[in-house]
Amino acid sequence: MRYLREVFASRELLGNLVSREVKGKYSRTIFGQLWSLVNPLALMLIYTFVFGLIFRSNPDPGDPSGLNVFALWLLCGLLPWIFFSTVVTVGAGSLVANAGLIQKVYFTRIVLPLSVVGSTAYNWLFEMFVLVVALSIAGAFVLPWIPLLLVVMVLLAVFSAGIALMLAVANVYFRDTQWFLSIGLQIGMYLTPIIYPTSLVEQASKDVGGLAGTSITLIDVYRLNPMDHFVTVFRQVLYDNRWPDPVEMLVCLGWAVGAAVVGVIVFRRNEKNLAEAL
Amino acid sequence: MSDIAVSVDHVSKSFRLYHERNQTLKSAIMRGRRSVHEDFWALRDVSFDVPAGSTFGLIGSNGSGKSTLLKCLANIYYPNEGSITHFGKVAAMLEVGSGFHSELSGRENIFLNGSILGMSKKEITRKYDEIVDFSGVEQFIDQPVKNYSSGMYVRLGFAIAINVDPDILVVDEVLAVGDSEFQEKCFQKFKDLKAAGKTVILVSHSMETVKQMCDQAAWLNHGELMIAGDAQATIQAYQDSLGHG
Repeated sequence: MRYLREVFASRELLGNLVSREVKGKYSRTIFGQLWSLVNPLALMLIYTFVFGLIFRSNPDPGDPSGLNVFALWLLCGLLPWIFFSTVVTVGAGSLVANAGLIQKVYFTRIVLPLSVVGSTAYNWLFEMFVLVVALSIAGAFVLPWIPLLLVVMVLLAVFSAGIALMLAVANVYFRDTQWFLSIGLQIGMYLTPIIYPTSLVEQASKDVGGLAGTSITLIDVYRLNPMDHFVTVFRQVLYDNRWPDPVEMLVCLGWAVGAAVVGVIVFRRNEKNLAEAL
Repeated sequence: MSDIAVSVDHVSKSFRLYHERNQTLKSAIMRGRRSVHEDFWALRDVSFDVPAGSTFGLIGSNGSGKSTLLKCLANIYYPNEGSITHFGKVAAMLEVGSGFHSELSGRENIFLNGSILGMSKKEITRKYDEIVDFSGVEQFIDQPVKNYSSGMYVRLGFAIAINVDPDILVVDEVLAVGDSEFQEKCFQKFKDLKAAGKTVILVSHSMETVKQMCDQAAWLNHGELMIAGDAQATIQAYQDSLGHG
């Protein structure tokens, strides 16, 4: 509890670090904040072309929204994924990147990875806002779902923060972490139903049957991936415009709280050694 | 308010000297264990008290453990044994301008750096003019700091740090910056702090500086405390030891 109070006392510092990241990131560029959209849009074009047009990945139309646009369906999963992977990648490097500061000034170290969450969330909010506008133009009735959307976004942010805290510490002691991470995230993206619907995995799972003679199926293993649940909930809220499955919601909540608790404990245990270990 | 500002109680600090540091997977697998190291004691059983309102100098040759002790005092390192107790708010100035963001303006950096050093926004706003005035860069305050000369950079960093207004200020060898006019200003500021009853702990290699500023001093030699107490006597003892090789 005392630790949380200390973190809370540093909220101004956290705010300043976030604004440092936000202001510094696109400074001296002509397009400024618009750059934040370019990466998701480029990916959207590629995946829509390859998987929507060539492979004809055909997700079910939104129910009850009635939407049937692959690009929008894709973005509902892609934007949360990009947020997650950015927070984890940059967050994992945040302590090493600020080694000079850690060795020279005392402050609550946890604000460094948390500021990455904050500044990435700022860009993400902007992207999601554009997505909501696009969905509305396409005919989805998203507006009433915005409060719930924000709740799910907070859950994902908490989950990502927890993972980033653990990896940031790991990266101080073991610099290979960041390289493993980039591979892990690439694999993770294809193991999450972002560019194809979960129904395809269910189908494949039925065809394969129990794995190695057990009753465990492919889909059971597949669903161990927490991002699978987050993406499912995001789609249900944004694309389908309906109440997300309560079980899915609870799973997301569980992952978020679990990751955050473990992350904070790991971070706190190692915080005092950081200046030496760097 | 007690008479002691900082109490250093039987502090020891060791570092691991790695012969083979296994920070990569390859070396970890090849050798099968994490690493080979031996302990190096940078500080051994150091105890002294810093009286409140004094200017306290830490002296000693290179590698004597001054900086390690200073980092322990600044809560950056934590001693393996013993404890350090602070009576009051501590601010440390081990390097000026760390945490500046080069793309941001001087003004934005004052707020950023101030909050890293533990000031609230209200405090910074209140002291803003004083900081800018002290740094002498008001003309360029809205320019990104990457365009600053190194002198301006350091002056701005110093001006922020010294305005944190702590009860205990911990300073590394940062006084050797800026032109002589700025140094004069700094000395004056330290005198003001002293007059206001603040405690200053500083490390310096310049015996002149220590003589001029400190009333108390501690002499460290290879991690062990030789003498702590009156500055003149401590400096004298240190210089005598140098004379005899």
